[in-house]
Amino acid sequence: MKRFDVSPLTGLAKRAAQALALFVFWTLAGCGTIPAAVSHYGPAPGRLELVDTPFYSQEQFQCGPAALTTLLTASGVETTLDEVTAQVYLPARQGSLQTEILAATRAAERVPYVLAPGLSSITSELAAGRPVLVLQNLGVSWAPRWHYAVVVGTDADRKQIVLRSGTDARRITRTSVFLRTWQRSGFWAVTTLKPGELPADPDRARYAEAVAGLEQTGHYQAARDAWLAGLSHWPNDTVIRFGLANTEYALGHFTAAERLYLDMLSEDSGLLTARNNLAMTLIAMGQSDDALEQIDIALALAEGSPLLEELLDTQKTILSTSQGAPN
Amino acid sequence: MRSKMLRNFVVRLVSLSLLSLGIVQGSGAAMIGTQQVIQSEARDASISRVEAILARRDVAKQLVIFGVDPLAVQSRVGNMTDAELLTLEGSLDKHVAGGDAVAIVGAVFIVLIILELVGITDIFKAT
Repeated sequence: MKRFDVSPLTGLAKRAAQALALFVFWTLAGCGTIPAAVSHYGPAPGRLELVDTPFYSQEQFQCGPAALTTLLTASGVETTLDEVTAQVYLPARQGSLQTEILAATRAAERVPYVLAPGLSSITSELAAGRPVLVLQNLGVSWAPRWHYAVVVGTDADRKQIVLRSGTDARRITRTSVFLRTWQRSGFWAVTTLKPGELPADPDRARYAEAVAGLEQTGHYQAARDAWLAGLSHWPNDTVIRFGLANTEYALGHFTAAERLYLDMLSEDSGLLTARNNLAMTLIAMGQSDDALEQIDIALALAEGSPLLEELLDTQKTILSTSQGAPN
Repeated sequence: MRSKMLRNFVVRLVSLSLLSLGIVQGSGAAMIGTQQVIQSEARDASISRVEAILARRDVAKQLVIFGVDPLAVQSRVGNMTDAELLTLEGSLDKHVAGGDAVAIVGAVFIVLIILELVGITDIFKAT
């Protein structure tokens, strides 16, 4: 069928109207411009899609559980939509909190790695075979529609993003629209790493934060494997070595923990945190004399340190233990 | 009336016992956690054990109020970090809850249609 010829004038008028509408509503929409650094596709291949990523269609208001189930099962976790719903759905809010998405990922023994803002963070993860969960505001600030979806593909040539979203197994969104909706959540995006996997674009602070969260919530085995992977990438990093030593201690691997703390102290004898935990490890090994010696070294250096109180606590613990079992 | 007073008393008693339990645990263990080191690195205020316990209790209570099965609450708060608990404390209603809920009325609806047409929003196509 032949199309009507649209006169150039009508075309111009239409474009002007569009521009006007855009101008008028730009302020209403609260749209800032999107920085070029964020909209860059990055070094990953121009077109990629993880076609094998499972899809869970959402129930009403339950995009959070559906998106997280997709992410976890793609990471090899055996779970169901019902199980995940019981962990992240908040009935009275008709939705899911970002914190609970992270917490439920920890419950599944996975590292919830929050990505640096930017499209290239997503494409890098996709290139490594991991889909990415994003929070979008499909509406505007004054009429928000918060929505979780999973990015499974990007196409730099067609300027498209492929998502598992809501009840759409393969939803295609223009990149510009996606970026605007994603921007409203502060570009919030998270991927799940198996303990031992490193992110495609490893950022030390983000990685340490993610693994420390796993450690703090008692997932020691997973945290240990994750710290080990971190150590292979940042072999001299104090926080990561400290984290590994702490999880070894928590798992009852006292000899391994002792060695790690001693290694750190041989390079920096003023590390009071390591010295404190070394003393705790020695108590656990029944060597309270050695523990006392270590804590005394630490206390001699601790004047004015915010750790002073904790060191004194440790000293108290050692003294009460050694009184109980004199050797 | 009487039963309400009794309930209040029991709630307080249980709260108090939970609190003291936490303090006893806190003074016993003097390991310094990795999170604490990261916080001091970032110059964030370190969170005391008592603060964390109070926040955990508050968030657990709020989750129940917001309709979470009480049996699921412990594992839900148990997987949150101290910093996350402190952020949520007393403000569960203020954080973003992603779930597609949206209230649209009258003029707002028309504005939204125009925003959609010019590609600023993506509100109508999903689900």
